[in-house]
Amino acid sequence: MKPEAAFLPEALQPADLTEGPVSLGGLDDQVLAFPARRPPAAWYLAFALTSSLTMLGFGCIGYTMYAGIGVWGNNRPVYWGFGIINFVFWVGIGHAGTLISAILLLFRAPWRNAIARFAEAMTIFAVMCAGLFPLIHVGRPWLAFWLFPYPNQRALWTNFRSPLIWDVFAVSTYFAVSLMFWYLGLLPDIASLRDRTGRGLRKTMYTVLSLGWRGAASHWQHYEKAYLLLAGLATGLVLSVHSVVSFDFAVSLVPGWHMTIFPPYFVTGAIFAGFAMVVIVLVVVRETMDLKNLITMYHLDTMNKVILAMSCLMGYAYIMEGFTAWYSMNEYLHHIFKQYLTGTYGWAGWLTITCNVLIPQLLWVRRFRRSYPAMLFVSLAVTVGMWFERFVIIVVSLTQDFLPSSWHLYKPTLVDLGILLGSFGLFFTLVLLFARVLPVIATTEVKAILPGAQPEHRVASHE
Amino acid sequence: MSERAFAVVGMFDSAQALVDAIPRVKASRLGRLEAYTPYPVHGVESALGLRRSPLGGMVLVAGVLGAATALLFQWWMSAVDYPVAVGGKAPFSWQAFVPVMFEVTVLFATFTAGLGMLLLLNKLPFYGHPLLSSKAIAAITRDKFALAVEAEGSAAIDVEAAKAALRTAGAGVLEVLPLPAAELAFPLSLISRAALAILASCLVAGYGMYWVVKLFPVLPPMVHMQEQPRLDAQSASTFFADGHGMRPPVAGIIARGQLPYLTKTQEEAAAIVNPLPRTREVLKKGRKAWNDHCAVCHGALGDGVPTLTAAYGAKPANLQAETFREYPDGAIYHAIMAGKNAMPSYAADLTEEERWAIVHYVRVLQRAQNARDEDLK
Repeated sequence: MKPEAAFLPEALQPADLTEGPVSLGGLDDQVLAFPARRPPAAWYLAFALTSSLTMLGFGCIGYTMYAGIGVWGNNRPVYWGFGIINFVFWVGIGHAGTLISAILLLFRAPWRNAIARFAEAMTIFAVMCAGLFPLIHVGRPWLAFWLFPYPNQRALWTNFRSPLIWDVFAVSTYFAVSLMFWYLGLLPDIASLRDRTGRGLRKTMYTVLSLGWRGAASHWQHYEKAYLLLAGLATGLVLSVHSVVSFDFAVSLVPGWHMTIFPPYFVTGAIFAGFAMVVIVLVVVRETMDLKNLITMYHLDTMNKVILAMSCLMGYAYIMEGFTAWYSMNEYLHHIFKQYLTGTYGWAGWLTITCNVLIPQLLWVRRFRRSYPAMLFVSLAVTVGMWFERFVIIVVSLTQDFLPSSWHLYKPTLVDLGILLGSFGLFFTLVLLFARVLPVIATTEVKAILPGAQPEHRVASHE
Repeated sequence: MSERAFAVVGMFDSAQALVDAIPRVKASRLGRLEAYTPYPVHGVESALGLRRSPLGGMVLVAGVLGAATALLFQWWMSAVDYPVAVGGKAPFSWQAFVPVMFEVTVLFATFTAGLGMLLLLNKLPFYGHPLLSSKAIAAITRDKFALAVEAEGSAAIDVEAAKAALRTAGAGVLEVLPLPAAELAFPLSLISRAALAILASCLVAGYGMYWVVKLFPVLPPMVHMQEQPRLDAQSASTFFADGHGMRPPVAGIIARGQLPYLTKTQEEAAAIVNPLPRTREVLKKGRKAWNDHCAVCHGALGDGVPTLTAAYGAKPANLQAETFREYPDGAIYHAIMAGKNAMPSYAADLTEEERWAIVHYVRVLQRAQNARDEDLK
């Protein structure tokens, strides 16, 4: 317990961030020992499953490349099928990691330190999955470099007034910045790994990657400054990325898309879905990697509170969207909103509301926030619900636009489903590999918040 | 003090002990002081008297530079080099350029913060530091706190005095780091060799990239959009019985605005009468159509002496000749519609009105070249 909080009533005092005594060296022995150890059979089993799914997905992508994009369910007028649904879904999953690592750092929420590393890694993997979809959705991915403004023989530049080009810049910047943020955080941990590893390939790998980090005070000073600056920049960036993704919709004139609420609504949904995914993965990591004393029930409880808050915001956004539609007095908008709940895809609309707004209300109960089955149920529901939310937004609005003669239902094909499964396979394969070779907990950051880690007279000198 | 050393390192068990020891060792003024810790310890930087990190200012400059670069590029590409009107917006519609400006600002600022910290301020990557090959490093990156008295530049340190000072300040294990075998900084020869290698690999990569971009996108199954399983105009086809890819119009149909021309011979055509009046407007129209379509072969005066004759096998008709002056209007019209000798039909290129206007204009040309005396009065 921090001394400056001693005057607070018990309920408001900050909780312990670790269970039981954790020493600096003990932390290293617990977390940094994983990469040296041979993984259990369950790891190989999980890896076999996820990499098979990945192969399935890439097989389907290869088939699409060979046969053309006609093997997907996309049609006229639903040009944006699974490709864009999955893109928005995966970009959203990534947002939780940046929120945890950057925004909570700025808010000085020390509970983020134990889970930040994993969440950041998930950001990078999710953005990799997300980036795959626009790439294959353009139909001729070997010409995807046309998306960048480079001097070419056609003497043409990209159209900077199109939200799709903003997207190219936003997502590629997001990936680059997340990678930089992740790597800088990893640097001191890799140095620790380097110094506890004997000779061999691992030693060489860690030595090269640690860049010769030696923990000098003059280095830490710049490092902390850089980390704080990166957090500030990433905060603005993460809010901008999903806003820009929502511009793809909001800047068009399609009824149901053309709304000013879209940017905050999309950002909220992204954080919501991302936190659910982080909870699912953290529960598995906590159990299988024996990290119960570092990722405590307090962490999961706090995460679940964030999910609950986001769920309420989502409910507000849905109501506000409906109100805007009604208040617009626009018959096209009225029609589309009726379609959301009563049309051919009305079941998807109700599924979205149930999974995103109703089921997470369970988390008001403290017992459910601290129970694995309950939180896994809620998180899986949120993941499904958020995927279907994008399905509803994209498919329902497109199937019935202004011109009834062009209305057409959308039905995904097996290839679409294969690629979706493949993206999940890719994501979890990368998560498994990450857990195998790199520290899953930011040991340096956790060390800095352990009791007695910081000299005490500094507090006195400040007062 | 027999050996020349780079540094003397003393180990402490807690951050508190380290921070307490710094002022005491500092007072003995034996060399440059540096602390090595497993995580950032607050208070060390002020105890060591380190300068504030200039990174904030660097990042600000880079961010402003990023925004300016993005705005400048978008302005130049969209409003100067190739302006395209999109959505009725002005060529320099700066509001639409804000999202990309923001992203580029963040990109510049982030890379300045990250790489500026590593490369410029911390001088990393650097694998040759003596501490990295010491016994102390494994404890430093784990759970111990080290204070080092280091040599400044070429000045040697007093090893015994430094040991004593550290021990008095409460250090446990002491370690003397020898001077590194090689120079600490990168020697000039290494830098120049590295620069050459980078240049060479850039050239190789650029050349390779050129061919990849040129050839890779067009290797099957990666093909351009125009390469599709379809019949192009004028191409042969095995599908249709006549072997042509293009289909003739269904027999007996007439396109809108077109009348069928059923006259077969020039003699039959002689009976057709020019329906247009001989007005100034009609003659102007005739002159334009003549100059656009006929003059390339028949000449601007209709004398069959144009510039193209040399490159053209057949000899175009000299419409000033006696034969043509006596031609009925209908015969000229027939030549336009059906073609004559090497001349193809111009029916598809001229409207009905233009055809007859040309006939009038041909009469004007003939009269102008063969004026009678009374015309001059």
